[in-house]
Amino acid sequence: MLSQKDAKNLIDQAIGYSKLPQCQVDVSWTEDAFIRYANNGITTSGYRITQQISIGSVTEDKRQGNAVVTEFSEDALKRGVQQAEDLARISRPNPEDMPALGPQKYLTLSNYDNYTAAARGDAMIPHVKAVIEGAKSGKLTAAGFIQRSANAVAVGNKAGLFGHHTYTDCSLTNTMRTDGGKSSGWASQTSVTLKDVNGEAVARISAEKAARGAGRKRSLEPGKYTVILEAAGVSDLVGFLAGDFGARGAEQGQTFLSKKGGGTHVGEKMFPDYITLRSDPLDTKLATTPWGPSLMPNQRISWIEKGVVKNLYYDRYWALKAGKEPTPAPGNVVLDGQAHTVEELIASVDRGLLITRLYYIRSLQPQTLQLTGLTRDGVFLVEKGQVTDAVNNFRWNESPVRVLQNTKMLGRPGRAQGSETGSSIVPAIVVADFNLASVSDAV
Amino acid sequence: MTFQQNCSRRGFLGASAGALVAAERLFGEPADAPKKPNPDLERLGGVALAEAKKAGATYADIRINRYRNQFSGYRLSPERGGTKTDEVPFVTDQASFGFGVRVIAAGQWGFAASPLVTAEEIARITREAVVVAKANAAVQASPVQLAPTKKYVDRWTSAYQKDPFGVPVEEKLELIHGATVSMKKDPKIMMALGFLGFRAEDKYLATSEGSSIQQYIVQVYPLLMANAVDMQKGISRSRSYQTPPVTAGWEAITKANLGENAPRIREEALEHLAAPPVTPGKKDLVLLPSHLWLTIHESLGHSTELDRALGYEANFAGTSFMTTEKMGKYKVGSELITVYGDRTIAGGLASVKYDDDGVLTTKFPIVEKGIFKHYQTIRDQAHLVGETESRGCCYADSWSSVPFQRMPNVWLEAGPREVTPDSLIAGVDDGILIEGDGSFSIDQQRYNFQFGGDAFWQIKGGKKAGMISRVAYQAKTSEFWNSCDGIAGPAYWQQFGSFNDGKGEPEQINAVSHGCSPARFRQVNVLLTD
Repeated sequence: MLSQKDAKNLIDQAIGYSKLPQCQVDVSWTEDAFIRYANNGITTSGYRITQQISIGSVTEDKRQGNAVVTEFSEDALKRGVQQAEDLARISRPNPEDMPALGPQKYLTLSNYDNYTAAARGDAMIPHVKAVIEGAKSGKLTAAGFIQRSANAVAVGNKAGLFGHHTYTDCSLTNTMRTDGGKSSGWASQTSVTLKDVNGEAVARISAEKAARGAGRKRSLEPGKYTVILEAAGVSDLVGFLAGDFGARGAEQGQTFLSKKGGGTHVGEKMFPDYITLRSDPLDTKLATTPWGPSLMPNQRISWIEKGVVKNLYYDRYWALKAGKEPTPAPGNVVLDGQAHTVEELIASVDRGLLITRLYYIRSLQPQTLQLTGLTRDGVFLVEKGQVTDAVNNFRWNESPVRVLQNTKMLGRPGRAQGSETGSSIVPAIVVADFNLASVSDAV
Repeated sequence: MTFQQNCSRRGFLGASAGALVAAERLFGEPADAPKKPNPDLERLGGVALAEAKKAGATYADIRINRYRNQFSGYRLSPERGGTKTDEVPFVTDQASFGFGVRVIAAGQWGFAASPLVTAEEIARITREAVVVAKANAAVQASPVQLAPTKKYVDRWTSAYQKDPFGVPVEEKLELIHGATVSMKKDPKIMMALGFLGFRAEDKYLATSEGSSIQQYIVQVYPLLMANAVDMQKGISRSRSYQTPPVTAGWEAITKANLGENAPRIREEALEHLAAPPVTPGKKDLVLLPSHLWLTIHESLGHSTELDRALGYEANFAGTSFMTTEKMGKYKVGSELITVYGDRTIAGGLASVKYDDDGVLTTKFPIVEKGIFKHYQTIRDQAHLVGETESRGCCYADSWSSVPFQRMPNVWLEAGPREVTPDSLIAGVDDGILIEGDGSFSIDQQRYNFQFGGDAFWQIKGGKKAGMISRVAYQAKTSEFWNSCDGIAGPAYWQQFGSFNDGKGEPEQINAVSHGCSPARFRQVNVLLTD
């Protein structure tokens, strides 16, 4: 692990080679171990160390150059700084450059776990075994991935700023398929500690979903359905949404927060009272770092509070022009929930669909944030509050803005991993009029 | 595990330059032996192979790789609340250097990697790879079986006329600045982006079967993009000059004529902003190579990857509707459709002389006259479909990534010489001409896809008419390719591609090209996006 002392030495060493007025040095170091399995056996796995130093240099007249190296030798650092400075000198002034930030008070975050940082095959293989045994006992085929990482990040600059943080992260995701590949079920667990991962539980949930679709699936037509969207899908949708809270894009007519004719929707109640979307670096369930790309300290901030658009992300340049306080970009995403279990959400629906997760999500229209994607690994009909039949997959064309506007009920939030936008703290939700646009024959 | 247990403090802090083998020395141009790998690389490779054997591996390979990426360009957008344009330049040079060792022990793969390229660290990491492999044997489905390959000792460099890294950055910035300013000239253009990207990959592979291969690949990728906004209507539309990313040198940038194309991109972005929305329904499509490449990639490229068909990607990228019993008989397209997998084609992003298994790359038919013929394979898969050799599709995106099956260049054969884009359009009464790629999404078995584009023109009564907007088309792979009734001749064949094709866990990216001529598809379901 890259200790605070080692990181400080590296950064000081690099800054020591710098001749230009500004020099920022970002260091990252990761040790990870992973196991991939398919067809009920391990396929590939590995153990590796990766590291990187990124050097950003700025001249007196705001010319910037950047260099990234993975060698940490004296020679490589010297060359990296030289490269960044040479590029800065031949670049042109950046009118949006801001003076370097001085020392910052970064939050102390607790998301490092020693057991996870040291875990290798002996800690991970038992989970893989549990999954594969679960698959075999149900006459299913398992494919999945377990990984853990120990990470260190550090940053420093000539203006005296310094930060260092270590964190761990891990996940187990698993797909069960029935014989002949006619039905599929998926489950995942993700956490900063491997102690939260339970191969048996992941096996059980994914096996139940696959087995439920093992018989004949009911064919449903495309259309607008009430949907109980499990947390993995919600994580993807709010991940896309959170990316749209930049002030510049909103003010320049490019996001769903732009108003026709100019201005933004900040301060407007666009969502139901029970929708609160925020970032919380102090949530220990997420592998958040104390600073983001702007180097400003990550902090607790609401983007939507009780249905009202509360804040936009102002980088330091845009904040200066707008006469506002700068705000950090979302360092993580938390969607507040209610005290309901998924079973209670299902029980609340007279007729609808339970959707396990979403896949291959892409933007269709930036102003409405309309997206397209697919359902995957378990879609089930809910009738009179009960899950009845497994049904076909769908392509959907829908906007997370409309999804949150049409949300009727929320479950208990927990850490979930989507397929596109990483991990967040979100609940499962009940959404009215979710637009399932066409049928997908995929299993 | 503590830092000290993993790598020595001296190694980590790199107390002396001599402690590390500098990438420059290993990968520099040889003075007198251009056909042979660098002897220092061979010595380091030998350390891994010897250590693996000592630790009980039955097979081993080591890849020592260096990557260089350079990005430069400009973003132009108005300052807040004013009319003045902020011209924001960016210049970044990235280098990555390290090694990865792959072994087979107890019948299982093991892999380990490190950025410290020293003999001591190579030996340590090799032992780690063997530990990984042996641990995996506890949950083994079947032992790894490698298709045979010849032994090669060679050095190869991709074709280029002018080294793009040798061109002064000032010259690059001046070129891209001029083009970007030209795109931004109209105030309705909210943002203009000009981008030049250059990539070089130095790769060395040594295998326990005696191969020692050093390769060098140079690639370039320029882009111009304009985003137009109508604040009153609350809409924005973009238009890009999507020049093909290509394995070539600076000459490809010169050929792209960025400066000459920039005003056209500006005007077409404005035309796109004012364009009426499409009327949805069944329509004929004429798809240009700058668009069709991505449809080929997603629907025919990914569906014919053997690891997907066999379930190895079931948890991530997905499986495939092209299951193994369909090989040799399934009609996936009309008789016009012949598609090759090809890592030998000039300029292809996936073109290389040897793959990351050390296999000499080839060209092979994937679809012949509409019939699915062959999967993309690597050494540990060939026997699973009764084949005796790999088709050379093994690739890892970094020294720290596990090599696995990745897509070769997959290209569609051109139609007869006499067929032209105009003759394809002339055969359409109510249709759409689509250029450039836009939104793209396809399901995990590659049945149902939905694609947008970068620009759309109406076709009415056999003639190209004005631009339209908010277009997406949705289809099933086999129905779509069976609806193809015209492909333009070889004179119109062009290669496009991407650097960012994702697959695998941990996810890796792949660079791949797809060539084709303009082609016509009948009665495809066209949607209006909102």
